[in-house]
Amino acid sequence: MSKSNETRYIFSSGELFQKDFSIVLRKDEKNIYLPIKDTRELYCFNDITLSTKMLQLLSKAGIIVHFFGYHGNYIGTFYPKEQLISGRLTVAQALAYKDKRMMIAGAIVKGIARNIYFVLYHYYRHGKNEFKDYLDWLRKDVPNLVDKTNDINQLLRVEGAIWAKFYQSFRTILPESFAMNKRVKRPPDNPINALISFGNSLLYTKVITEIYHTHLDQAISFLHEPAERRFSLSLDLSEVFKPVLVFKTIFDCVNNRKITVEKHFDKKLNYALLNESGRKVFIEAFEERLNQAFEHQTLKRRCSYKHAIRLDGYKLIKFIMEEKSFTPFSLEDKK
Amino acid sequence: MLTGTIVNYYTHCQRQCWLFSHNLNMEDNSEDVRIGKVLHELKKQGTEEIALEGIKLDKLTAEYVTEIKKSDADLAAAKAQLEFYLVTLYDKGIIRKGCLECLEKNKQSKSVHTLVMSEEDIEERKAYYRQIEDFLEQEQPPSPVFKPICKKCAYYDYCFI
Ligand code: SF4
Repeated sequence: MSKSNETRYIFSSGELFQKDFSIVLRKDEKNIYLPIKDTRELYCFNDITLSTKMLQLLSKAGIIVHFFGYHGNYIGTFYPKEQLISGRLTVAQALAYKDKRMMIAGAIVKGIARNIYFVLYHYYRHGKNEFKDYLDWLRKDVPNLVDKTNDINQLLRVEGAIWAKFYQSFRTILPESFAMNKRVKRPPDNPINALISFGNSLLYTKVITEIYHTHLDQAISFLHEPAERRFSLSLDLSEVFKPVLVFKTIFDCVNNRKITVEKHFDKKLNYALLNESGRKVFIEAFEERLNQAFEHQTLKRRCSYKHAIRLDGYKLIKFIMEEKSFTPFSLEDKK
Repeated sequence: MLTGTIVNYYTHCQRQCWLFSHNLNMEDNSEDVRIGKVLHELKKQGTEEIALEGIKLDKLTAEYVTEIKKSDADLAAAKAQLEFYLVTLYDKGIIRKGCLECLEKNKQSKSVHTLVMSEEDIEERKAYYRQIEDFLEQEQPPSPVFKPICKKCAYYDYCFI
């Protein structure tokens, strides 16, 4: 089990129950106490048994639990009932889906392009000249394309093109053992796809947790169809953070050989899935990045990337409630 | 319907008041509040608070209504809240004096303030409460204006992002 801030990862199997107002993990005949005070989020990566009584405590304490299967596949989230709800905002959010969907979805697509640009610009500056066309396209053409469209499917095609070209750039950035021809979603069929899938699900769960602490309705989304998943707004708000959090973590782990194909992938499954130690290495690097602090340019305060996710939720609320313009997090502008 | 907390916030910061009364409350992020709530639920203790519509009294005696605050950081807001209790009770035929106890930061000393309201005071306050109710009808909250109190306010990130 590892801990960072108020997030706890449980990699072993065991039973969770309540004792003396604490959460207790019982494994191998031993009890490990997790004080409620320092726990806001739990990740279970193995067989965990828990009772209704435990769920009641988690619900009261507003602790979110994300469940992953043995192979690191995301199963689902226990979302406590006690959450922040503002009727006024929920109505306004639904109306925004009707009237301002393109504005919000467009802002997200521009945000993806901006953050990919900034991540790749680093490599361009270090001599990867082949990125020039793509970088120009991201900076100049994408905002124009987005502004011109008023059709969600057209917008999604622009988004698809941004990602497809981004994946092509991996051949230049990553060693051959990780190079990727095409992105296959499920099941991932090579190491890089496995990393992307795992990283994206981790990010998705982080966004679910951050939005839980706002008054936003998780089901009403703008870029993705609202019905796509129970937490489709988390899919929306995670997009601009993928380059910042998922892909920078992947590049760091792969290029600094923290993760290698031989050691950290399941050989039996043709290296198409991370093994347990691979998942642990990735989570550690990912958490480190989430908790990294920077000086927020609008708030004039130190702020972690994790908190920046919550702040994007606040920006969305302000756009919906107070018509303040919505610009998702930009890695370059640090705001 | 107004509550003591809403009147307190209106005096403290109108934007906070609007947001709070539309359920956009941020206080829950505070770890102390959360833990307090959890323990409270788990222990299922009986509470000593006296709750009437819109008001939760810390203490009610034959002579006084007492409100206890952790600090005297915003005395005017705390007084406005206590006055609201006195007015509400007055309307129910319960006439009391107000007593405001502020525990100082180190909790070793405390300051005590007594409040007595005349009938004119009460009428004047009622007009003020109508003004607050009108204010809360607004479609949008007033824009934030940075003040020193904002630095420690739970709404800071939301207001200034
Ligand atoms: S941050 Fe300042 S403006 Fe915003 S609610 Fe708090 S006191 Fe009011």
